[in-house]
Amino acid sequence: MNLVGISINHKTSPLELREALHFNHNEIVEFIPRLKNSLFSEGVVISTCNRTEIFGFLKDHEINLSPVINELIQFKPVKGIQQEHFLKFFSCGAVRHIFSVASGIDSMIIGDSQILGQVKEAFEISEDLDFAGTSLRKIFDSAIKTGKRAIKETKIGEGAVTVSYAAVQVVEKIFSNLDKKSALVIGAGETGELAAVHLRDKNIGKLAISNRTIERAEKLAEKVHGEIIPYQFLKEQLHNFDIIISATSSDNFIISYEDIKSALKKRKISPVVLMDIAVPRDIDPDVKKIENVFYHDIDSLKIIVDQNLQRRKEQVPLVRKIIMEEMIGFFGWFNTLGVVPTIKTMRSFFEEIRNDELEKIKNKVSKEDFIKIEDMSRRMIGRILHNPTVKLREFAETGANIKEVAAHTMILKELFNLGEVPSNGKEINEEENKADRVNEKK
Amino acid sequence: MLQPIDSLNILLPILYCLVFAAYTYDFFTEKKFVSNSKRIILFVTLILHALYLVSRTIEFDHPPITSKFEIFSIIAFSIGFSYFILELLTDIRGTGAFIILFSFVFQIASSLFIEHNFVVPEVLRNRLLGLHVINALLGYSGITISAVYGLLFILLYKNLKANKFGLIFNRLPSLEILEKLSYYSAVIGFVLLTIAIIIGIIWLPNAFPKFSYFDPKLIGTFFVWIVYGIGILRKLFGNFYGKKVILFSLIGFVIAIMSLIITSTLGKTFHSFY
Repeated sequence: MNLVGISINHKTSPLELREALHFNHNEIVEFIPRLKNSLFSEGVVISTCNRTEIFGFLKDHEINLSPVINELIQFKPVKGIQQEHFLKFFSCGAVRHIFSVASGIDSMIIGDSQILGQVKEAFEISEDLDFAGTSLRKIFDSAIKTGKRAIKETKIGEGAVTVSYAAVQVVEKIFSNLDKKSALVIGAGETGELAAVHLRDKNIGKLAISNRTIERAEKLAEKVHGEIIPYQFLKEQLHNFDIIISATSSDNFIISYEDIKSALKKRKISPVVLMDIAVPRDIDPDVKKIENVFYHDIDSLKIIVDQNLQRRKEQVPLVRKIIMEEMIGFFGWFNTLGVVPTIKTMRSFFEEIRNDELEKIKNKVSKEDFIKIEDMSRRMIGRILHNPTVKLREFAETGANIKEVAAHTMILKELFNLGEVPSNGKEINEEENKADRVNEKK
Repeated sequence: MLQPIDSLNILLPILYCLVFAAYTYDFFTEKKFVSNSKRIILFVTLILHALYLVSRTIEFDHPPITSKFEIFSIIAFSIGFSYFILELLTDIRGTGAFIILFSFVFQIASSLFIEHNFVVPEVLRNRLLGLHVINALLGYSGITISAVYGLLFILLYKNLKANKFGLIFNRLPSLEILEKLSYYSAVIGFVLLTIAIIIGIIWLPNAFPKFSYFDPKLIGTFFVWIVYGIGILRKLFGNFYGKKVILFSLIGFVIAIMSLIITSTLGKTFHSFY
């Protein structure tokens, strides 16, 4: 199989190179015709913040990936990029890599939940641009199946692996129904935004944003359908929230021990969760001494992240097993492609003989008898060819030894003096099914 | 019928041990197969246990409440049964090991020392007494389960406060759920205890000529009932959250145990049947 691929990712290059080579949707759409014209008969471009990869079947029989890399660099000129920044894949290795990417074990954060959707989307773009054939479709169908199986059958995607999500995980260990709780996110930067999005995804009952710059608070509040608490009134509103997540860039504490003590008094000692995910910290850590106050800072949340990452790493061998199973399945299918033309030729050969003989007796027997003979001869041919067809296909599906498959095919061709006929897997399947139906009826 | 009763008497502690092992193993490993099968093992155990108790009632012609060790078996059953219902209603499966341990301990003590009591005082054959005792035992099982959930709450609370994110953090449900489980168990225990007290008040004066409202066991039980009553009312109508609810449940449980021990051993009571 002449599937090839190149990959520049977090293992091979620094962030600035990966960023520079990142393709958005429109760029992929623009780039694919260039690949189609010069290099590939079919292919896929996958681009995320941590990787850009091109996979496909080369038009040229010679396996040389340098033109692919050059095409990429020409399209996106990046200073300092070298051939060494790219991994190159061929045949079985390329399939394994695609499956690994889809299952999340090749991601920077093992078990990344977004990558499967990104792989799927990349393939859909190729399909829309008529750049994906049967084999590539099968490869990506199997890759997506691998990714889904990895999520379902292993714990590769379980547990929080970002600090903001870990904060939400801890909150869930304190409160059961977040839809009845209120949360305040202080700071509308990247971390605060992530925390707010996670809370919204968990159907938090009430969500409010507070930020020194009101415009940023408004922007985030609009995104997560939250309220805005003006920064200057922040301390007066603390008691209204069950969960407070703080992620500002302030140099000093913005919430003191006294603030929380007073808020808790107003809350009639109802529990409150404080997540301080800012560096330097926003909340006085002494608040943890107050009863019913659950305070966690970035260090304590990192313990959860590290534990979950370790657990995910332990799942990698299980995912590799799934990858291997899916590769066996894929190559089983792929190997049958080689025998399809032979099966087709063999069936045509026998069908021709049958038609010749039927033609000879057409005018010598009655119409009713001819129909009976026609049926009988079809059944006979079906039964004769059923076993060789099934055996040949099974033999190819095991994929154990390509040479042996070729030898068997060759013997068959020589025995019946068969020439090549253009292949069509679908037709063969239909013919086989027809023959099987006839046999079953019988 | 004695032969099957004896066989079940040996089999039940083994089964409770198996259920406890399955719940403990699942708590530590979270294997899907064990997670599904442990509930089935518990269900089968409870069915056999119910069969055992019914068989004893028929064979010996009295409810199995005539000795400490018969009572122990009912306690084992009622704790297991209450937990089973709670697990079915809430689908929280991670806490079983802590509860079933009590069933196992009570049943093994019962199986080791239980005797065949064919001859018992006539009063112990009374159906109302059976109902009174069973309600009281189920009530005490409820408050025992409430206390176990209370302890789990305290354990998780302390882990969260100390930033410990190990097994307790990963396997136990949230503090709010533990609080609810503890509270609902206490409410169920309180209701059953109330029924037991009502039956007792109606029936005991007729059954016992020496009946006295100042009997230490009666006063002790009534005190426990008052404590739980106040706790439940405060939770219902007051600002009673988290640790406060749990501490109330734990204090109530300690008072209940102390009251049972003191009134059974030190005080003179008509309320002792064996």
